[in-house]
Amino acid sequence: MRTTMRRTLAVLAVPAAAAIALAGCTAGGTENNNGSGDSSTLSLGMTADLTGGWDVVDQPPYQGWGVEAVYDNLVRCMPGGGLEPAAAESFEISDDRRSFTAVLRDGMEYSDGSAVDAASVQASFEVIKETASDRYGDITFDVPDEKTITITWPDPQPLMELRVCLPWIASTEYLASENRAAAPVGSGPYTLDQGASTSGSIYSLVKNPDFWNADAYPYERLELRVLADETASLNALKTGQIDGTIITAGSYEEAENAGLNISSSGTGLTMLHLTDRLGEKIPALGNVDVRRAMNMVLDKQSIVDSLYDGHAEPIWQPFQKGHEAYIEDLEEPYPYDVEKAKQLMADAGFEDGFTFTVPTMEGQAWTVMLPYVKQQLAELNITVEETALSGPDAIAELLSGDYPVPLWTVGGISSLEDASIHILPTGFWNVSHQSDPTVEALWQQILTADDEQRVELQQELNQYVIDQAWFVPILSPDNLYASGDGVTVDEISDPFGLHPRLIDFK
Amino acid sequence: MLLTLLTRLARSLGVFLLVTIVTFSLMYSNGPGVARATLGLSATEEDVQRRMVELGLDRPLLIQYLDWLGGVFTGNLGNSFFTGEAVTSALANRVPVTLSLTIATVLITIVISVLAGVAAAYYGGWIDRVVQFFASIGAAVPPFIVAVILVFAFAVSTPLFPATGYVRPAESVTGWLTSITLPVIALLVGSIAGGAAQIRGAVLDALSRDFVRTLRARGLSERAVVLRHVLRTASGPGLIAFGLIMIGLLGGALFVELVFALPGIGQLAVLSATAGDVPMVMGGVLSIIVIVLVVNFLADFSNALLNPKARAR
Repeated sequence: MRTTMRRTLAVLAVPAAAAIALAGCTAGGTENNNGSGDSSTLSLGMTADLTGGWDVVDQPPYQGWGVEAVYDNLVRCMPGGGLEPAAAESFEISDDRRSFTAVLRDGMEYSDGSAVDAASVQASFEVIKETASDRYGDITFDVPDEKTITITWPDPQPLMELRVCLPWIASTEYLASENRAAAPVGSGPYTLDQGASTSGSIYSLVKNPDFWNADAYPYERLELRVLADETASLNALKTGQIDGTIITAGSYEEAENAGLNISSSGTGLTMLHLTDRLGEKIPALGNVDVRRAMNMVLDKQSIVDSLYDGHAEPIWQPFQKGHEAYIEDLEEPYPYDVEKAKQLMADAGFEDGFTFTVPTMEGQAWTVMLPYVKQQLAELNITVEETALSGPDAIAELLSGDYPVPLWTVGGISSLEDASIHILPTGFWNVSHQSDPTVEALWQQILTADDEQRVELQQELNQYVIDQAWFVPILSPDNLYASGDGVTVDEISDPFGLHPRLIDFK
Repeated sequence: MLLTLLTRLARSLGVFLLVTIVTFSLMYSNGPGVARATLGLSATEEDVQRRMVELGLDRPLLIQYLDWLGGVFTGNLGNSFFTGEAVTSALANRVPVTLSLTIATVLITIVISVLAGVAAAYYGGWIDRVVQFFASIGAAVPPFIVAVILVFAFAVSTPLFPATGYVRPAESVTGWLTSITLPVIALLVGSIAGGAAQIRGAVLDALSRDFVRTLRARGLSERAVVLRHVLRTASGPGLIAFGLIMIGLLGGALFVELVFALPGIGQLAVLSATAGDVPMVMGGVLSIIVIVLVVNFLADFSNALLNPKARAR
């Protein structure tokens, strides 16, 4: 009996000892359980981890608070267009839109103590040149003194503002290092407190008092907490563990009932991209009447009301409101009319419909409407199948052209960018990469046009694409941001309109 | 005993190699896809090719696997393709979080399910019915549902515990306890249900054996019969059951970690798999395999220690 009991106790003691040892030995970063707690700390939830770690290169704008905190831009893009000074106190775009000249502020330093000078700006763009060769591959530099730099493209750049406002700048030594993602060396409003951070979970940053615009950032500390689950984010916000987080339309009522402040900005276009316009893989899509019928069969207002609870807007154009290509007084080109849509399908000889597959990926808010889209297109005997893409092959599969009708939310900073991404044959969202002589001709004219002509030509392009029904524009969803007591977000200055920037939190 | 140990070790090594080879092949077989996932939507073909070379994905798959396997033994599992963080460093931060949840859950599960299982089997009647009723309910409710209810009740409505987050015991033991209390309770509901049902069955089986009747006929007290002999006989199936519960908890912990935003292996595996961060996924898989093999080994070893018959198998 005693031997047995001793053995039993010994068996139980093994995991107990392991638990105690783990409890005692666990070391590493701080997990602040109490969120911001005081008014000098801003604690924000992020629904995903930093996409590229702290690598200065090619950071996505969505939830980019981490890089926004530690890095600075040369200039910043403004909502609605235009640039404002950042590390550069003055700048100029040449008349032929080939060159951009910037003059840097005095006295700025990176977190490693090195000076923010023209050489480091050049080094930053050199790195971008390597990683985004399609947009920066042919740029050249002229550095007449340590505060002045001119960046030149061989061709006119209609998207010049975007090209110069997106790259972050960092120290030359850091840019040459092998593991840029591990820790940042920037000149932004905050610096990373690595000892108090746990990668993938919480990032703690302290204010950089020497930042040129430090007064605009009222918080002494910044915490970015990765809360992948929306329920967890909302609970953390309700209980004061964080000060703000992105929410979806489905959580709006819950957030409102909890007394949270909600701000919204409407950008992005959720559309079916009918990229097989020549009907190479899906013959029916080569017929313009079929594409028009698909536009007519979706009751967009009903989707907005029932699925988005009104937190979206029906759309009819493949460009965003306020952008240059947007046609203000355009009447609804394909009003909801199921009978007329059926007639168009019959006239085109496709009354029996056809089948296509919509690829989905984790975390895409638009998937909420997929059952409805399936149901409505079934009225035309069109069968929509669904395939979930995940893992390392997901993006490659998504853009491979194997799925010529992606349903996706897209939308950039300008209509020129949008056109280059989802209308031109080289655009990555034009997954079938089919060319069209009218589009090619219009684009060539756009590249060399003056400002006024460029607007007219873009609207002409928009009208052509609408007439050809290359897309089924459905809605523009509201981007919702919830914040707790004590944090004010008066305006969202993010040029993409996705969510507040750090400077917007007061 | 030594032979038993060596056999179990060899078996574990075989399972380890098989699982890692299959997982590695699945994750790394499409080099261009992996490279593109790290570059984003707008990457050109040249960018993808350059990235493949940078990440070593242009090498034959077998060489890449052997390189990774060598890293397992030298403690170098590479860096995240996205964040650059060393995989071993990420695991060192996250494995203790998951283990502290699962080990605490298993310890409490052992105590409560042994008491409930023995009581249900020995006394029968209403005690048995109550235990079986709660075991059925507990087994039917997924841990994440329990987690959501607990957060609402004890963090949002009545702020007794934090809704999210993890405090390391090195910083604050009480903070650590409060941060894992609700997650552990969420996991306990299902594990106690399973454990109590297994122990009840094992004890009932032992009680029906002839030797129990013989012991009682010899005049041994009921306490001695149950504690010395019945429990010992039931301990074999019980240990195996608790080993399986511990392994099952790793799956449950995945969802619970998401609901409570705990930086554990489950959260890491989900986020890495979604993003296509293959070195991190392999790191997560490696830790889970090692935990599963160690738990199985310990369960087998403990069983052999308590039950001489098991040593011969």
